[in-house]
Amino acid sequence: MSLLGGGIFKGMAVTLRNFVGSYFYKDRLTTNDYSWRPSDKLPQRAGEYPKEEGEQLRDTTTVTNYSRNFPMLLHDGSEPMDTIRCVACQICERECPPQCIYIEKSTEKKENAGGKPQFFPATFDIDVSVCMSCQICVEVCPFDAIVMNSQFELSTPDRFGGLLLRRDDLLKSNGYYHKIHPEEATARDKRIAEEKAAKEAKKKAAAEAAKKMAEEKAKAEAEANEGTPDMEENTE
Amino acid sequence: MSLDLIRDILIATVPLLVIFPTLFAFTTWLERKALARIQNRVGPNKVGVPLTRYGGRFSLFGLGQPLADGIKMLFKENIVPRDADRLFHLLAPILALIPAMLVLCFLPLEFPWTESLLPVQAFLLDGAVIFFFAITGLNTLAIFMAGWASRNKYSLLGGMRAIAQMISYEIPLVLSAVVVVMMVGSLNAAEIANAQADWNWFVFTPWGLAAFVIFFIASLAEINRSPFDLPEAESEIIAGYFTEYSGFKFALFFLGEYIAMFAISGLAVTLFLGGGAGPGVAALPWLSTVWFIAKIFALIAVMIWLRGTLPRLRVDQLMGFAWKFLLPLSILNIIVAGFAWHAQQQASGILKAIIWVACLLILYATAKGLDQLNRPNVRPREYKYAE
Repeated sequence: MSLLGGGIFKGMAVTLRNFVGSYFYKDRLTTNDYSWRPSDKLPQRAGEYPKEEGEQLRDTTTVTNYSRNFPMLLHDGSEPMDTIRCVACQICERECPPQCIYIEKSTEKKENAGGKPQFFPATFDIDVSVCMSCQICVEVCPFDAIVMNSQFELSTPDRFGGLLLRRDDLLKSNGYYHKIHPEEATARDKRIAEEKAAKEAKKKAAAEAAKKMAEEKAKAEAEANEGTPDMEENTE
Repeated sequence: MSLDLIRDILIATVPLLVIFPTLFAFTTWLERKALARIQNRVGPNKVGVPLTRYGGRFSLFGLGQPLADGIKMLFKENIVPRDADRLFHLLAPILALIPAMLVLCFLPLEFPWTESLLPVQAFLLDGAVIFFFAITGLNTLAIFMAGWASRNKYSLLGGMRAIAQMISYEIPLVLSAVVVVMMVGSLNAAEIANAQADWNWFVFTPWGLAAFVIFFIASLAEINRSPFDLPEAESEIIAGYFTEYSGFKFALFFLGEYIAMFAISGLAVTLFLGGGAGPGVAALPWLSTVWFIAKIFALIAVMIWLRGTLPRLRVDQLMGFAWKFLLPLSILNIIVAGFAWHAQQQASGILKAIIWVACLLILYATAKGLDQLNRPNVRPREYKYAE
């Protein structure tokens, strides 16, 4: 039995902590110098600013484990399109409540990181002006290809094109994912590895079983071949 | 009408018309500052003393911001939609402000210079509490008028939400005030405040505490404060009924909303928090005004705090909360208060304490039970296309 309205008091304690803390810890005030940023440094496309990887992490993304903003696509290696995880199955597109994802499947298959020929998204657009950051695409994705980014500085002077994130804007490396959401990324990688191991074990077991079955079948057939003449004799 | 009477009326009412709008300006600044700090921002801190360069070094924590906002509001263009009903579009913000201003005079606020002029203070009216609720109800009409006259689907949605919400929450609001009226045996605001002298505040009794909590929650809904700000809901229906308002008309709505906030907090202070009672009042009578306004600001601080904490309710949650939780609880509270008050008339000392604890337990258990009954049946989301 929890206290009635206890959740509200808990929330109020959090906001009170922020309220008081902001007076004592200067590093809490992250927006402090924001109003003095020169206008030529403002991004022209959503998510473009700034170029350097290190600065990008410090300025425009939060590194807290559970913050999230808009989805991004994961790839495993240095060449994004060679190692993209997405296979354009379009589950996220159909599941997306505000319908902000647009996917076009490629016509040909191409080898991905797993070494298997797969389809890939020829177009993968997310309209972040429509996206409501619900994370449902992440939950439904069977390939762990789409996860939440935490980059928050997405303002742009172009209302339409600037807020439509293209496939290449969305592609981020798994290393970047590890940087922004260390715990979540580690857990996800662990789960993927476990699933892969389990799959391989199952495959192995299945192969062994098949081999065994084949052996048994051959044995049975051999026995049957030996036995058939008797049976024929019996029936006659 | 004699000149004296006109003078008396002016002296009694002008302070209300000056003090509360001034406090309104200060409260907008306070709210912006507090919300900013809650979100680890700084809030308005640039506008300071006028005519120094941008406030410059005399920024005074951004205290010039309300002034700048006011000037901006006055000079902004007044845009009226082409298809709007121009007359009602104009009338709505005025009608929203009038009842909010009007109910201020039912608060037992005694200004030091009005002592000899008490007969004109409206709070001496028998039935001030009834008048308060009756006049606050007009606010709903103004909001719906704004929504209707704008000829905008979002405005109309906001207006309709406002009507549903305000009518629903008016019931627990009034029923929780009934407890206090029962205890005092009067609807006179001054008598209610006087009955709570010497720290006998109603919030310190079990039924008074329950009634105060219900009253506070219902008053949040009544004045469209977060988390019950569905009629304006910026993220859903784009500021609802005042989507189509700009410039000074918008400022009037804004003012009306904050004045209503002062008024309903003032009523809560009168009913439950002892009115102007407080240390030092016996020696210095004018301190009661200070205490009264300080208590109003304490309540408003909690409102701001809640706004910074809670997300907005859904429409069905809002309705369910009023009808399935607050209403039964406030009715039970009246019954409990009636029985307990009669029981404690004869009792004293330890028996009285037992009665109070029993009342608290009954009320808490009922609230907890209602909460359990109304728990939504939450299931994990089912995906249609995945797997």
